[in-house]
Amino acid sequence: MNLLHPDARVIDAATGESLTPALIDEAAAALAGESLVFMPMETTVAAVARYLAALRLGKPVVLLDPDADHSRLIERYTTTDLHPDLALMLTTSGSTGDPKLVRLSASAVRANAEQVAESLGITSDDVAITTLPLFYSYGLSVLHSHLLRGATVVLERTGIMQKDFWTAVNEHRVTSMAFVPYQYEMLRRLRFDPAKYPSVRTLTQAGGRLRAELVTDFAGRMASAGGRLFVMYGQTEAAPRMACLPPDRIADKLGSAGLAMPGGAFVIEDDEVVYRGPNVMMGYAENAADLARGDDLGGVLHTGDLGRIDDEGFLFITGRIKRMGKVFGVRINLDDVEKHFPVAAVAGDDKLHVFAENITADEARALRTKIAEWLGSHFTGVDVRIIEVLPLLPNGKTDYRALEASL
Amino acid sequence: MTELQRLRDAFRTALDLPADATVDDLRYQDNEKWDSLAHMSLVATIEDEFSVMIDTDDVIGMSSFDEAVRILGKYGVDVK
Repeated sequence: MNLLHPDARVIDAATGESLTPALIDEAAAALAGESLVFMPMETTVAAVARYLAALRLGKPVVLLDPDADHSRLIERYTTTDLHPDLALMLTTSGSTGDPKLVRLSASAVRANAEQVAESLGITSDDVAITTLPLFYSYGLSVLHSHLLRGATVVLERTGIMQKDFWTAVNEHRVTSMAFVPYQYEMLRRLRFDPAKYPSVRTLTQAGGRLRAELVTDFAGRMASAGGRLFVMYGQTEAAPRMACLPPDRIADKLGSAGLAMPGGAFVIEDDEVVYRGPNVMMGYAENAADLARGDDLGGVLHTGDLGRIDDEGFLFITGRIKRMGKVFGVRINLDDVEKHFPVAAVAGDDKLHVFAENITADEARALRTKIAEWLGSHFTGVDVRIIEVLPLLPNGKTDYRALEASL
Repeated sequence: MTELQRLRDAFRTALDLPADATVDDLRYQDNEKWDSLAHMSLVATIEDEFSVMIDTDDVIGMSSFDEAVRILGKYGVDVK
């Protein structure tokens, strides 16, 4: 698979280094002996070159967080028996306990890059900047969709809380930025004013539900500067984006995850959102033998989300079938949290709230650190509350609704 | 409580540090807990504690405890 349009450019904002065909050729030569490539994915030109080389050679790549230890995962999945359609594998969750992989074919990756490029109207004049890690499906799809249309991708390792980031936005005349909900909270804190960054035309939002107030707020900020906010919905299992809310419908469809992207369709089965499209994964892998498996799903993804579709086809997500939460855009199984820690866990907006009975403030802080470490997440995403006694339902189970109401 | 104590407490709360932690020499990203997310919580805590609205450039520029002292001075909070 070649996702690289001949006009596409990748530039490192800090070093000025650019991606060249020669760099990809060199990276391809270095991959000669490998059949399956485990790749800690940094935001550098070298890492992008190596990734594109593996895709071009048709060698399946597992993208990994460069800051974590993956020796167990690598041991678990090392094999040479690989299905010919397999191109890319990503992890689904930040928790280190469950290194399940999503298996994506080259055609699914490419289809989603097309769908995203089409929905956002990406052209070779666009300039995206990295705002998310490239091993994270949403961040990766920013790279894919822009390279496909011959646009420019600026690699920036700082973040929106740092001056270098905003300097790079203006210096490289960035047109498009992708953020998850907590970054919109940050941008609001920064009093983000698009008029100060006149090249920016497009903001996208995915990676969990953004509260309606912020959707309205940022749609308004962008509109007043002649730009647009795109609310999107996806899962790593769909390579990853499935829906897009057209900016001119944000006001009258507030709270919607949008319309299915071109080539995709949603149906609701027993209240569950089911997506059908060319970008659905082949299936999960839980061990090395699974990497030889073909397409298990036939293009149909049961999302695990509860939802409804209105008469115009707009999707509204209403909840999760399993007890799931999201912290900084990464999925978390609440029951798993409770198995590992003596707490009751509920999901907030991009935050995990846990209730622990009768502990001290020091113990609560230590618990917060431990849970965040276990999740591979940041401590500000975990909120520990001390409670005298957990509320129970008549059947003796934890009354999660009462806990949610107390937040 | 003095302004200085209040600012130290704001840093400890936002950066999830023990109540007796020394914070006067902290610098952004030197301390492993002070990253972009903690920075957001720090700015929020300081704004609430001192009832000020910190401008974008000052949010981005608040790169150390000393800088926080200086920036708060601009907003009429004399930390000493």
